[in-house]
Amino acid sequence: MYHCVPDFEMDDDYSLPSSSGAARPRKLSLPEDEIVELLWQNGQVVMQSQNQRSMRISPPSKYGDAVIPAEQSAAREIRSSQQKQESAANQHQNLNLFMQEDEMTSWLHYPLVDDDPALEHNFCADLLYPPLHQSCNNIGNNNTNPAIRTSSVTELRPAVTVGVAASRPPIPPARMTELAGSKMQNLMHFSRQKARSIGGVDQTEPSSSKSMVVVRESTVVDSSDTPVAGPESWARSAAEASDFGDRGCATMSCGDVAGTSSAGATAKEMMSCEVTVTSSPGCSSASGEPSLKPPAEDRKRKGREAEEADCYYEDAEFESGDTKKQVRGSTSTKRSRAAEVHNLSERRRRDRINEKMRALQELIPRCNKSDKASMLDEAIEYLKSLQLQVQVVNTFLQMMSMGCGMVPMMFPGVQQYMPAMGMGIGLGMGMEMGINRPMIPFPNLLAGSALPTSAAAAHLGPRFPMPAFHMPPVPAPDPSRIQATNQSEQMLHSIGTQHTIQPRFPHFVDPYQQYIAAHQMQLPIPQNQVLAQPSSSKPNTSRGPENLENHQSGTR
Amino acid sequence: MSSRRSTQSGTSRITDDQIIELVSKLRQLVPEIRNRRSDKVPASKVLQETCNYIRSLHREVDDLSERLSQLLATIDADSAEASIIRSLIAQ
Repeated sequence: MYHCVPDFEMDDDYSLPSSSGAARPRKLSLPEDEIVELLWQNGQVVMQSQNQRSMRISPPSKYGDAVIPAEQSAAREIRSSQQKQESAANQHQNLNLFMQEDEMTSWLHYPLVDDDPALEHNFCADLLYPPLHQSCNNIGNNNTNPAIRTSSVTELRPAVTVGVAASRPPIPPARMTELAGSKMQNLMHFSRQKARSIGGVDQTEPSSSKSMVVVRESTVVDSSDTPVAGPESWARSAAEASDFGDRGCATMSCGDVAGTSSAGATAKEMMSCEVTVTSSPGCSSASGEPSLKPPAEDRKRKGREAEEADCYYEDAEFESGDTKKQVRGSTSTKRSRAAEVHNLSERRRRDRINEKMRALQELIPRCNKSDKASMLDEAIEYLKSLQLQVQVVNTFLQMMSMGCGMVPMMFPGVQQYMPAMGMGIGLGMGMEMGINRPMIPFPNLLAGSALPTSAAAAHLGPRFPMPAFHMPPVPAPDPSRIQATNQSEQMLHSIGTQHTIQPRFPHFVDPYQQYIAAHQMQLPIPQNQVLAQPSSSKPNTSRGPENLENHQSGTR
Repeated sequence: MSSRRSTQSGTSRITDDQIIELVSKLRQLVPEIRNRRSDKVPASKVLQETCNYIRSLHREVDDLSERLSQLLATIDADSAEASIIRSLIAQ
């Protein structure tokens, strides 16, 4: 946009000494342009304004003309080029606005200059750049002339409208958004400024320009106190901006602008617009840094956002924080963010689980499985065998503690399978189990069934599981229950009979074996575990297949 | 869950259902977790509790072995009990 500047400068030669002023009037001048026009129309300036207009009108397509009165300036604005001229014109107009007729005369001579230093300050400062703030201020300053404005505004409105309408068709697509007459010019100028400041962010540039346009419009509107006109033009510009498909920036800027329709909010709008614009460049710049995101997230995002062109938006949001998010308001970004968060949490969970799995693997002896499922299987088996082993030992110790005589020779030792177990073992185990099994259902059988039971047990020896259940009745009570001496006597008898039988107590090969045996034997477990045991052991009654199973598993 | 298949290519080709099943089995074995509501217990918790339980069982077995050893010393080495104890300790 600054290509116009040189021209502006030229204008300055005759008009304003301050080059900056040329720029400023662009945006600030917009409202003032309108006002100025009115003044001109109303006052002596008319002629001059006419002149001005004529000046501008001649090259309507060329400049964006701030100089031209609102209506015409609008048309001019649409033209990208002559900001300078516009500024010059604006300044002129501005001058007119603020200046009295006297001023205007001076203004005539110094189109840009006059108005004064005040105007120059206001406009020039704003135009020049850093100025968005200044422009706001300027606008505010401009607003200080409500009286003039309102009148001018009212008049301007139709003029503006007309101007806008007229300017639309010829407006190049880029400028479409800047329909609002002179405002457009200013906005365009700003947008250009922004674009430059952004430094080549193509994406943001148009958006920023749009946003700027929108902002400016709103600002201008406010300053001019034209609530009606403002929204109209502003809405138009907003619509146009959105048409360009600028999802984030323009929309947001429009939104911001819309939010503050009041005149007093111009400064805020300006600021917000700036924020928006800056944010958009930020977004685009952020998009250039996808590496910042963890690769996993990127993978996930790619899947989701393949269709979305907003990948960078997401990154931007992620980096810039909530501001962008709010600005965007697009569900895709929110969704992607949620998905990213989910992925992160999922990954953390997985890591935790893997860590626990490794720890578990270390605890399991001879675990050479790398597969998680098999490792878990082994863990389960090992855990069961450990539990069994502990139970067996506890039971044995209990037996021992009860009295040496009570200790069954045929300690349910595990390894051997049912078939291998002789009657003695079966008996022994039965006794063992009976003793430790509070669940024994037939304690009453103890009394008379010792011998017969033994015989039966012997008979049933091979079927290990069965005797286990049957035997219990014989010795029945577990150590805790051995209050009945007769029962214990029974046991002793049983044991005694068993003594003859060489204890072929099973050898505890290893926890697994023991585990297997335990299944077979239905080892009596401590009382507190009895409840649990039966659940697992009962199915063991149908031993055959299970024993084989256990055996096989035990031998791994 | 799907990420497991895709991301963990080297370690696990198994499905998550298998894991869930195994974890549930473990859960039933470990007394601490058994009483809790199964659906609320996360896998990591189950694994953690399993490790703890195994460690405690190890300690218990060691302790019992110690006792058995002591017992073995007190009884007749030729007795059946001694044999049993020896077998128990041999594990």
